Amino acid sequence: MSHAEIARLEMLAEVDGLTADVRQWSERESHWEPINRCAGLLRRVLGRVESLRVRLEAPLVVATFGGTGTGKSSLVNALVGDDIAQSGRQRPTTRRPVLIAHSETDLDLLGLPQDLCDVERNDSSLLRDTVIIDCPDPDTTDSDEANSNLERLRKILPFCDVLIYTSTQQKYRSARVVDELAEAATGCRLVFVQTHADLDEDIREDWREHLSGRYEVPDVFFVDSLRALEEQRQGHRPTGDMGRLLDFLSRQLASSERVTVRRANVVDLLDAGLERCVGIVDERWPKLEELNQALRAQHESLRQKMATNLQRELMVSRNLWERRLLTAVTATWGFSPFSSVLRLYNGLGALIASFTLFRARNSAQMALLGAIQGYRWLEGRSEEKVAEASLERATALGLDDTLLRESQLVIAGHVGAASLDPSLTAPKNLREIRGQAVAVEQDFIGDAASGVDAVIDDLAIRNSGWFVRGLYELLFISYLAYVLFRIGKNFFYESFLDREAILSTDFYIPATVFLVLWTGWLVIAFTHRLRRGLTRRIEGLSQDLVNRQMEETLFPELQQVCEESARDRLRLHQLHERSSQLRQTIATSTALGSAKRDSLVESKVVTVTGS
Amino acid sequence: MSSPLTEFAQPVHELHVAVRELAGAAAALELPGLAGREWYELLTNKLVPQLSEEAFLIVAVVGGTNIGKTVVFNHIAGSRASSTSPLASGTKHPTCLIPEGFDESHDFKALFPGFVIRPSVQPEDALQESETHWLFWRTESTLPDNLVVLDTPDIDSEARINWERADQIRQSADVLVAILTQQKYNDAAVKEFFRRAAEEDKAVLIVFNQTQLPEDEAYWPLWIGTFCEETGVHPEHVYLAPYDRRAAEENRLEFYEREWPPSESMNSVSSSATDEGHDLLTDLSELRFAEIKLRTLEGSLAQLLDDRVGLPSYLLEIEQRTQEFQRAAELLSAHQLAKIDKWPEVPSRLLVREIREWWAGQREGWTASIHGVYNTIGRGLTWPVRAIHERIQGEVISPIEVYRRQEWEAILDVVEKVYAKLTWMSELGNPLLRPRLESLLGGTSRAELLRTLEEAHHKVDLELELKQLVSDELENFRSDSPQYYEFIRRIDGIAAAARPATSVVLFVTGFGPLGDAVAPVLAETAVQSLVHIAGDVAGGTVAAAAGETAISGTAATGAGYLEAKFRKLNVAFTARRAAWVAGLLKDHLLGSLPEELQHAAGIADGAETQRVRELMDQINGRLVASPDRQAVSTHVGSPEES
Repeated sequence: MSHAEIARLEMLAEVDGLTADVRQWSERESHWEPINRCAGLLRRVLGRVESLRVRLEAPLVVATFGGTGTGKSSLVNALVGDDIAQSGRQRPTTRRPVLIAHSETDLDLLGLPQDLCDVERNDSSLLRDTVIIDCPDPDTTDSDEANSNLERLRKILPFCDVLIYTSTQQKYRSARVVDELAEAATGCRLVFVQTHADLDEDIREDWREHLSGRYEVPDVFFVDSLRALEEQRQGHRPTGDMGRLLDFLSRQLASSERVTVRRANVVDLLDAGLERCVGIVDERWPKLEELNQALRAQHESLRQKMATNLQRELMVSRNLWERRLLTAVTATWGFSPFSSVLRLYNGLGALIASFTLFRARNSAQMALLGAIQGYRWLEGRSEEKVAEASLERATALGLDDTLLRESQLVIAGHVGAASLDPSLTAPKNLREIRGQAVAVEQDFIGDAASGVDAVIDDLAIRNSGWFVRGLYELLFISYLAYVLFRIGKNFFYESFLDREAILSTDFYIPATVFLVLWTGWLVIAFTHRLRRGLTRRIEGLSQDLVNRQMEETLFPELQQVCEESARDRLRLHQLHERSSQLRQTIATSTALGSAKRDSLVESKVVTVTGS
Repeated sequence: MSSPLTEFAQPVHELHVAVRELAGAAAALELPGLAGREWYELLTNKLVPQLSEEAFLIVAVVGGTNIGKTVVFNHIAGSRASSTSPLASGTKHPTCLIPEGFDESHDFKALFPGFVIRPSVQPEDALQESETHWLFWRTESTLPDNLVVLDTPDIDSEARINWERADQIRQSADVLVAILTQQKYNDAAVKEFFRRAAEEDKAVLIVFNQTQLPEDEAYWPLWIGTFCEETGVHPEHVYLAPYDRRAAEENRLEFYEREWPPSESMNSVSSSATDEGHDLLTDLSELRFAEIKLRTLEGSLAQLLDDRVGLPSYLLEIEQRTQEFQRAAELLSAHQLAKIDKWPEVPSRLLVREIREWWAGQREGWTASIHGVYNTIGRGLTWPVRAIHERIQGEVISPIEVYRRQEWEAILDVVEKVYAKLTWMSELGNPLLRPRLESLLGGTSRAELLRTLEEAHHKVDLELELKQLVSDELENFRSDSPQYYEFIRRIDGIAAAARPATSVVLFVTGFGPLGDAVAPVLAETAVQSLVHIAGDVAGGTVAAAAGETAISGTAATGAGYLEAKFRKLNVAFTARRAAWVAGLLKDHLLGSLPEELQHAAGIADGAETQRVRELMDQINGRLVASPDRQAVSTHVGSPEES
């Protein structure tokens, strides 16, 4: 196998791959309406592609296309070398398409609508590889009214692989024909021919210039059909451009080129469909982006609100802070006199708190209780599924019903504008959103609790240095030492040697009182020290919480749909990129003309496959 | 020789002004503009400039691209007045030949209002590419002094701006020299152009160009037959021009006249042998000018007044469109926007306090000061108790704040319901309402509305509102009923008993049916705004009725009366608040939508429309009245008859 052959096969395989990927894309269901619309459109395009695939190896269908009087029928006669298509001076001459095929060609294989055309058999050499259709004109009827030339033409065009576009000096800029070609050219290879060489001047340069905006124009032929037919009748080969055209056609439309031509048409169709889809999706994209923005903004304000409330409550809950800090400090200190005092104080505090505060009344307090306890508490709560309770709790961090309703109202507006499936936000009663709000809060509190833990650990470590610890222990012990010294001195020395009286309760009572006062003062001083800089840290913590990424959101489904749609859109762009690259490669590698991209495609694809 | 229809100049001119005013007024209807409407273009391009002018003929050479329009034009001119090119759609702008002295005796510029008139310097002028519609002119000594000849751009190329220019020239013209070829005589675009010319009753000369004689001698009757049949053109003359490029270049093309419709004898005689070329200009100058002028002006008038395509069709369009707006407006107002059954009530405590305070302000002289002293002592004594109470209960939220919160919830209710209703309406698919509502329903505008409402709601001093209401109501009450003292005295007793439930209904008013239960309390606030509230007091009506009987009867001091009075206060406050919300919604949600719809719905009966109708009737009347113009009046048909 030659190198060129391999390259050709590779290109064909790429086309197959693209088709398969487009099919896969078109089979998706989305909640976003434009994606569904595009998928529907692509499925239609693929239907046409499929019909091309079925007749991949059948002879190519070549059709004439051009204004009335531009010599379509004469050209066909000249190509075949026989007077088959009726040509004449009365306009329009050809009303029904004339299908000319070799006597051995099996027309059923082509799936052509034979009831729409008059079928003629001819054994010209050109017909061995092709089927030629002489089409009616597109420009004598006002619109595509029923049973008009235009309607008949449009019915036959989807079956054509190659169009021979004929024009004359008078007609090459006729708007009607130019417009119709723009519609017809998608999914076809093109050959450009100026006729009436016997009478008209050569306007190919100007014509080519006008065509080049919309079409790839490798070559334009300038032929005299009548003379060519005459020459063939006399047994000569046609001379001039007609000879060139005949050579060109028999070379480019040979059976070996069939697959290439059809694949090129497939890519053309796919590219047209994809381009349209990209247009549809991109047009609506900003609205979806807006929804995305709105969701994010909602999210942010939600976090902000929760963080502010949390901060306020953390500031208020001094007792709980103290308890957590003391626990942490005593845990690091291990056993020592002062830490025993702290423990005792903390224990007493907890005992009292357990009556009131331990039943954490709000989320901030829960966060303060610590991550482990907090979670346990929350799980217990969520298992209970008491809507009332969770609502009550949600209110503490500001996620109350009004806020949720406002969010829902705004998001519903965005969903409507973005033409997403409205059932996504259709108020599924508040309870569902409440549940989601609880999840959001839970998520948030989880973050908060670990943040609080970190703060507490940090403060505990900072206040457990040997100096601080030594100082407090020393201060505490020094009092104890002093009292013990007094008692010892009194007992061992003074009562024995000086015969003084043993210390009475008159001593112990004030000593105890002072012990309590001294200890109390120390504890107060210590806890005060612990709490130093707490305000700043709480602020830092809440700021940190605002910035942290949140996993749970109020509208998880919407979020998901947005992400999915973004992915679908990206994929569509990729497919389109691929198809236009393929198109470019094919267009430059063949000598046949073709359409450049235009935007009139959708209607054609749809009407064509619908018929 | 003055134009035969001078008497119409004045009313037509007025009509032109009136129509433009109408179009200005009808802008709200979002109809396509006047430009591009055939009758309007005829009015501006033909009737207004030509009715009062001296009689002269405007001859335009028209046809598809690249079939030799300019060649024929040059033959008429007798020189290469305009440049030709083998490439298609070469001529981009019309070129005009006028007889010497014509521009002094006529307002030449007014004849072609759509064009920028420029003197022609060189034959290539008309080939320039430009966005502006230019018209090049120069004088031609060989022209008869009442003939103006124009070369026009094509009517079928992809350069559609050429079509526009050719259309304008066609409207101004009296005589069209139609250039046809065998390739183009049956083209849709060409036929469409001449169909319009036929409707306007233009005189048409057909030049069948690029014929191959004598072979085509057998075909041309077929071709022209098809052409005339499909377009409705009745040609004055038919010429054949041979396919002879060199002759065309050298300005010596022969034009052979043919009889049309072909007589029976012609088929047998081959006339081509004896043919002599005709001078087109001579034939043109031999046309019956006055007759043709009259014909085309009448044709244009007929088009202008034609029921199907003329001004009446525009009026009909306005009328139908107006009805659509009416329907949209009715749709908007036929359904209540929202109904709220439980608007929160002011806590009785608050109401009672306000009443007491008001009462305190009513005391005069020594009673007032004594009460003041007692009040101060009372406050001092109860302070510790209140302090402890607060301490135990935690921070107490003031009742007015509680009410504010409840009210915000009610407002949210309203907003939700209104949005739901508007969504429903936009889904109904009224083509006018839909895009307007969709922009209201977007997420951004919702967020904005909520923000506005929230801000406004925050700013409202509810206490002041309440005070205001209480003082207004009680002021009225005092003047109405001298026993008010008794009422104040007993108010504590009934405070608990009074539990009115107010339901509030929002409507967009102005059209169609309206809820019949419009509460009288709202009269002053609601009638002004377009959003209406129907306050329906559950049980309140009964109470009010009871109250009235109580007043009329003797038991003016009865508890029922007091209760009714108290309820009325409560309801009045609720209604006031609802009206406030409705006002906000109207301003910030609906905006000027109801007014816009209402305005648009009134255009069909507006003064501008009346004026246009009057003028049209006037012109019509004159046409019918003049006995020598039966031909026109028959196919004009007055709009009233239809």
